[in-house]
Amino acid sequence: MIIFFNKNYLYIEQLLFEILFFYIFEKQVFNFGNKPKRLLKIKIMKIHHFLLGLIILFFPIQSLLSQNLTIKGKVTDINNEVLIGVTVNIKGTTLGTVTDENGLYSISGMSSSDILVFSYVGFLTQEVLIGTQTAINLILEADVQNLSEVVVVGYGTQKKVNLVGAVSQLSVDEKIVSRALPNVSSALSGLVPGLQAVQSSGMAGNNDASLLIRGLGTVNNASPLIVVDGMPDVDINRLNINDIETISVLKDATSASVYGSRAANGVILITTRSGKGAKKTTLNFTSNNSIIVPTKGIDFMEDYARALHVQQQRTAVNTLQGNQLFKLGTVDEWMAKSMIDPLKFPDTDIWDVILRQGLYSNYNLSASGGNEGTNFFVSLGGKDERGLQINNDYSQYNARFNFDGKIKNNMNTGFRFNGNWSKWRYALSEGFTDPDPGNTAGNDLQYAIAGLVPFDPKTGYYGGVMAYGEDPQAYNPYAPYTLSPSQNNRQEANIQAYYDWSPIKGLKARVDYALNYYNQFSWSAPIPAQAYNFQTETFGSRTYVGANAGISNSTSTGFKTLLNGSLNYNTKIGKNNDFSALFVYNEEYWYARSQGSGRNDRLHPSLTEINAALTDIQSTSGTSSTEGLQSYIGKVNYSAFNKYLFEVNFRVDGSSKFLDSSRFGFFPSMAFGWKFTEEKFIQKFTNKFLSNGKIRVSYGSLGNNSGVGRFEQQETLTNLNYVTGTSVQRGFANSKMINRLLTWETSTVFNVGMDLAFSGNRLVVTADYYDRLTTGMNRPSEFSTFLFYAYSPPPRTNIGNLRNRGVELDVSWKDMIGSLQYGFNLNAAINKTNLEKWNQLLLRGNIFIGMPYQFVYSYEDLGIAQSWADVYKATPQGAAPGDLLLKDLNGDGRITADDRKAYPNFQQERPTTTFAFNTFFAFKGFDFTVFLQGSAGRKDYWLNIFNNTNFNNARYAASWEHLYNPWSWDNRSGLWPRLGGSGNNRQSTGFWLDNMSYLRVKNIQIGYTLNSKLLTKMGISNFRIVGSAENIGTLTSFRGLDPEKQGDDNNVYPINKSYSIAVNLSF
Amino acid sequence: MMKKLSIHLNISAFLLFTVVLVFPTSCKKDLLDQKPTGELASENFWKTDADATIALMSAYAATRAVFDRDYYFDGHGDFTRTRGTSATSGSILRGDAYQGATYAPSGYGASFDKYFSYLYGAVNRCNYVIENITNKMLPSASGAKLAALESIIAEARLLRGMTYFRLISMWGDVPYIDKIIYSNSEVTSIERTNIKIVKDAILADFDYAVAKLPAKNPVLGRASKPAALAFRGKLNLFWGSWKKNGWPELEGFNQDQAEAQASFTASAADFKSVINDFGLTLYKNGDPGQIDSLGRAEILPNYFELFTPKANGNSEMIMVFTHSGTPTTPSQGEELMRDFSGRTVEGSQVWVLPYFELADRYQLITTGDFAPKMVPLNPTTNSAARTTVNSAVNPKSYANRDYRMKSTLMWDYEMCIGLTALKSTGFSPYIYKTWAANVTIGGIKYISYNTDGALHGYVFRKFVRNYEGLGRSEGDYAFPVMRLADVFLMYAEASNEVSGPLPDAIAGVNKVRARGALPPLAPSKYASKSAFFDAIEQERIVELVAEGHRGFDLRRWRAIERVWGPPGGVGVWKKDTWGADITRYYLNASDLVYQQAYIFRIPPNERDRNPKLTQNIPWR
Repeated sequence: MIIFFNKNYLYIEQLLFEILFFYIFEKQVFNFGNKPKRLLKIKIMKIHHFLLGLIILFFPIQSLLSQNLTIKGKVTDINNEVLIGVTVNIKGTTLGTVTDENGLYSISGMSSSDILVFSYVGFLTQEVLIGTQTAINLILEADVQNLSEVVVVGYGTQKKVNLVGAVSQLSVDEKIVSRALPNVSSALSGLVPGLQAVQSSGMAGNNDASLLIRGLGTVNNASPLIVVDGMPDVDINRLNINDIETISVLKDATSASVYGSRAANGVILITTRSGKGAKKTTLNFTSNNSIIVPTKGIDFMEDYARALHVQQQRTAVNTLQGNQLFKLGTVDEWMAKSMIDPLKFPDTDIWDVILRQGLYSNYNLSASGGNEGTNFFVSLGGKDERGLQINNDYSQYNARFNFDGKIKNNMNTGFRFNGNWSKWRYALSEGFTDPDPGNTAGNDLQYAIAGLVPFDPKTGYYGGVMAYGEDPQAYNPYAPYTLSPSQNNRQEANIQAYYDWSPIKGLKARVDYALNYYNQFSWSAPIPAQAYNFQTETFGSRTYVGANAGISNSTSTGFKTLLNGSLNYNTKIGKNNDFSALFVYNEEYWYARSQGSGRNDRLHPSLTEINAALTDIQSTSGTSSTEGLQSYIGKVNYSAFNKYLFEVNFRVDGSSKFLDSSRFGFFPSMAFGWKFTEEKFIQKFTNKFLSNGKIRVSYGSLGNNSGVGRFEQQETLTNLNYVTGTSVQRGFANSKMINRLLTWETSTVFNVGMDLAFSGNRLVVTADYYDRLTTGMNRPSEFSTFLFYAYSPPPRTNIGNLRNRGVELDVSWKDMIGSLQYGFNLNAAINKTNLEKWNQLLLRGNIFIGMPYQFVYSYEDLGIAQSWADVYKATPQGAAPGDLLLKDLNGDGRITADDRKAYPNFQQERPTTTFAFNTFFAFKGFDFTVFLQGSAGRKDYWLNIFNNTNFNNARYAASWEHLYNPWSWDNRSGLWPRLGGSGNNRQSTGFWLDNMSYLRVKNIQIGYTLNSKLLTKMGISNFRIVGSAENIGTLTSFRGLDPEKQGDDNNVYPINKSYSIAVNLSF
Repeated sequence: MMKKLSIHLNISAFLLFTVVLVFPTSCKKDLLDQKPTGELASENFWKTDADATIALMSAYAATRAVFDRDYYFDGHGDFTRTRGTSATSGSILRGDAYQGATYAPSGYGASFDKYFSYLYGAVNRCNYVIENITNKMLPSASGAKLAALESIIAEARLLRGMTYFRLISMWGDVPYIDKIIYSNSEVTSIERTNIKIVKDAILADFDYAVAKLPAKNPVLGRASKPAALAFRGKLNLFWGSWKKNGWPELEGFNQDQAEAQASFTASAADFKSVINDFGLTLYKNGDPGQIDSLGRAEILPNYFELFTPKANGNSEMIMVFTHSGTPTTPSQGEELMRDFSGRTVEGSQVWVLPYFELADRYQLITTGDFAPKMVPLNPTTNSAARTTVNSAVNPKSYANRDYRMKSTLMWDYEMCIGLTALKSTGFSPYIYKTWAANVTIGGIKYISYNTDGALHGYVFRKFVRNYEGLGRSEGDYAFPVMRLADVFLMYAEASNEVSGPLPDAIAGVNKVRARGALPPLAPSKYASKSAFFDAIEQERIVELVAEGHRGFDLRRWRAIERVWGPPGGVGVWKKDTWGADITRYYLNASDLVYQQAYIFRIPPNERDRNPKLTQNIPWR
């Protein structure tokens, strides 16, 4: 459901004035005494009246009846050991205290009807009604599964037991920070059911995982929204994982709809640490030092003579020997002389030259502390990645200061500062390669022949082609990787401040302001070099970097601001009715600008600033963009008898990206939860084994505006200049056709879930089923060919519907046998997409109605033809023995694109099923963790430019597989088709189609926690040392580099395998 | 009571607080009305007279994108091989219109979907200019302002006509769109317009341009009257050819000799006017210039210079598309160097190269007729190859040839200036299959020409600058789409069709020959209509090589069978100077292959969406 407002209806000022008006002139309606409460009836005529109602509904205030009691007591655990630092709060307030070092507490100003809440991390929270007692001594029970856990949800927190949405929360503990994880997104892999984190590259600085919640929600931008401490759109990968306390993943409409227009693909809420609840200042130090090796690499042939032989075999198919580029003498000469003169006849292992052992180190120092009034968390962190590729380095430093303080009893303020700085150096955008068609060296790694010297330190020259007949353009990757790295420095500062005020019990007003600023400077200043021929002692073939190499600089800066004003009200009506309501007004504003410049002819290789180059040839560029978002958010929770839970949410978003008429989107949701184990009649049957049970149902809608460009819906002209004579003439063309009907893309999500806890909470099971329908997917329209290049890009339109259905399961078990603690977690998710509607023409391809988006659509093959008889038996297709034979599926006697077969259960781009298994054991200070992770449901082709059997007649960097695998009359069991065979050999056929399912040993950790009196005397409260290994083994049938890598015929940056030693130390 | 009051006060203060909190928003009323910062809002355009010219410039830029790499089309002929292109996908300024297509002598007809779409892109840009000036500016204009505006419309109509001319010569019937399109739905069920109607509409555009354009536009890159006349003449020449020779692959197109004659007549008249009425001359008055001895390239003939930026703006170039490389951003540079030369010259790629057979087309200046055929020999197996008479690898075989040969080609031991990083690296000798090697010639050490693309033994010199300063993608050459030499030859052809060899036609051909230092045609060469036609064809091959004309000529003359042999035949091997068979075309080719070479395929994707769009016969 979606409702559009004319913007005139939603003026918050007007709304609040009306509240004020009501209060001043009609306050007789309110009754603040002890008498029974009266609800105010308001006609809901307009939406703002409805909003008004929501707020006013909760104004009647229950009175406080203070009898000024003082309660004292002692808190212990079941072993009668005192618990220090237990929080003792008066229920429904923020008032309270903590137990001292003897486990004692004292709290005064109480009334007999107050309830004390005792909470302590790792223990079940208990509530005690004061009544006539004056001393309350309590034994807290350890909470194996921590069901009292508070979960961070949009604009607040909720107890996990009362959740009605599908939210998974992850606490960042020492097990996670001990891993050698380059960034936060890749840390999420396998930890949350329904969240796919796919890492496609191990490239330092570019190894973040792409995140996807509950499958591909839209063919548009399907990434989840990241919110850090209430600020949306923060780059998750620039956070210091040590600063993070919890990560909540909001998966269904109810939990996510408070983020409205950007929540269609789920929301990831990150909460950073604070000193809340701390009784003393703690210093914490962690470090991690790892060595990194590739999981798999390319086996280039470091034997040039043999590689030339492979070239000869390849060209022998269609070239007479006399006409071949490589002569037998050349090959023989190379084979003989390479043994004595490696400079003139090199056999270089190129892969070895451009790869190195990677390193990763991470140091982090933090302090947290506080008292009743204030608390703080401050941290400094630094990480350094030395990538597997030469000259690929990334380092990042983070600083954080979080502070919360009380101004008065009912007023709080606080701020968060997070700064990060990074330096990144890399050769090409994918490391070894570059997909940009404008970069002519982007796919040259396939030309990295063994027959050249990467670099000769004696002369300082970079080697080039030497063999007679070799293509002069063969590639020495060592030269560009060394000489022309790109550099990127970035700084970000995120500053947030808030102020809240609770004028009366249960009511809280809060203002938040946040500023997120970034500045990025990229530069490149390559050093000239030309390939050298050590045989002829001349320069001549390829020029890697011209002598006129210059300097390019580009700067992009920008900021985003956020202003939030919120009202939050909690109350209890009668004994069994808990209400809470929230209203938020929100404004966000983005501003980005960039400038770039370049000059040729650098003055000196050591200088890198623009001024250090001649001005004869130079270029400049610059632009900016802005965006605004205005939102109204509301949320009501009601729980009755602690059994029935209701939640209603909505958000209205107005975005500057849309035209006036379709600017606002309304995204409501509602949910219901039933804690059925609280029902007496059910309890009778279940209390033996079921300690907790809840059913959740939610339904609602979410939006997505991320695909629309900032000014895309505005009528503008495009600059298209011309030249006359020698001067540039400005030209403007009308390249835009605006779709005035373009509106929000909306996802409607139905979710039903169940939370069960068995055996005294030792076994906890969460299961969810969802059905998400994305309607009006927002895409550039398919334009007629008569307009395509005049009006480009074509206007966006709401194009089709995509449904995602799936189930998620999360099973955790934790227990103790004697002093052996152990537990496991299994999580799995299955997702099925189905394209239901597409209002434009779909031709044969892997996108079709009634099928998963990007399903596998492949030719079938009959294997490699072993003889001419095989060829003649098959449908004519220009094959010869050694070629792949394709199946004529439709039997029309021809092999055409119509002969492809659809696989409805497999997707080409992403898996349908993900699963992970995590188990741990802890015994007397030792702990051991094994984390397995995998996925299924994806098939993709193993076809890339490095296993090409139809390579060019020169300069091909063959691998050993090219020598052993191709079919030939002497090798009729060859794993590959013959070299230089039919083009069909490189078709997307079943022959190359691999199942990308895998099971990976993601992490193994062995830790030891020192717990000696000596350490305590030294003031060390905790010391843990860990050995951890990442990605150490993968079970898969995929023949290529890594089953997690996205299909790419060019990118060869391996996925990392790492071994690390980590230390955690607390004072 | 006191308590109650304090709560009331608290609430009042609270509400005031919330109101104040939300008030600043009213200062940000425009939060949701962000103005585009880097783009020109449409409402700010069409305000001043200058806007007409500004809009016209974008029409020029869009039309340039479909004409300035026409040299790739020469790959459809039999003398130039286009083994690939330097065009970058997605970049209109980097030849995207030509990207991804096939430029081999056969099998190309289905690969021009993108080019088709780009041609309509140019049409739409022109329509935007024509319609807006007509509606928004003309009604209030008068006097000199009116004339200026009409001249701008005339330029846009000339460009539109050229674009439609290209469309009909490739696809026959095409939808004719001559107004601004406001929504996709206006074209989703559009039908193809009969070629005759489109041709007449193009003629109307050219007529308007002839009437309104100035005799000479002082600005290099903008059209003048001779261009409109020449294109009108060329359209009639093509129309005449189609009517004369037929176009069976185009449904409903009838041969009609009378109509052909009428078109040839009209064509000849327009060409004659271009030749006689505007004082145009061949570059440097057709003077062949000086030529260096074999193996030296310090002095090159004028024909070479004509295809370098030094000749920009000369009167031979009747219609050009201009370029500017560094420091223009985004660069509007051409990539002729990148396409025509090898790595030695700014890391270029030899995407376009001569076939071996081109060399024999250059006649002897001594006899004015063909030299004995070149003998391809392999110098690695035959030690006499470099000295054998008429050997293709013996530099002496290239003595006394048409000056245009040295200006166009590089054969073994010909020199050119190497360039790296915008600086000269001195002369480099071209030696087939001896790439980037140390060579000593006449006691001087050189590094031989380096390339990875010379497949047939030669590379081009034509279009390759021999001076430093501009990169391989930053050329500033004004690429000709109509030049006087072509007009001389087209006039000769059109008038020959009407009345056989005429003296002024023969004189025109001789002027073209004279720039190659060739003697005038021997009388036997114009003894008959067909002999003269052969002489004209020979001259077109040599004079216009690598400018993209040959494929169009072969189609309109229906000469594909003549050049490549009949259907089902053995086709033609293209060799290299060493005698190796490099590639064979039209081997055992079916009738359909020929038919598909004569007409291009209407983009099937569009037909899938729009069933009313019919397909050409061989592509059904």
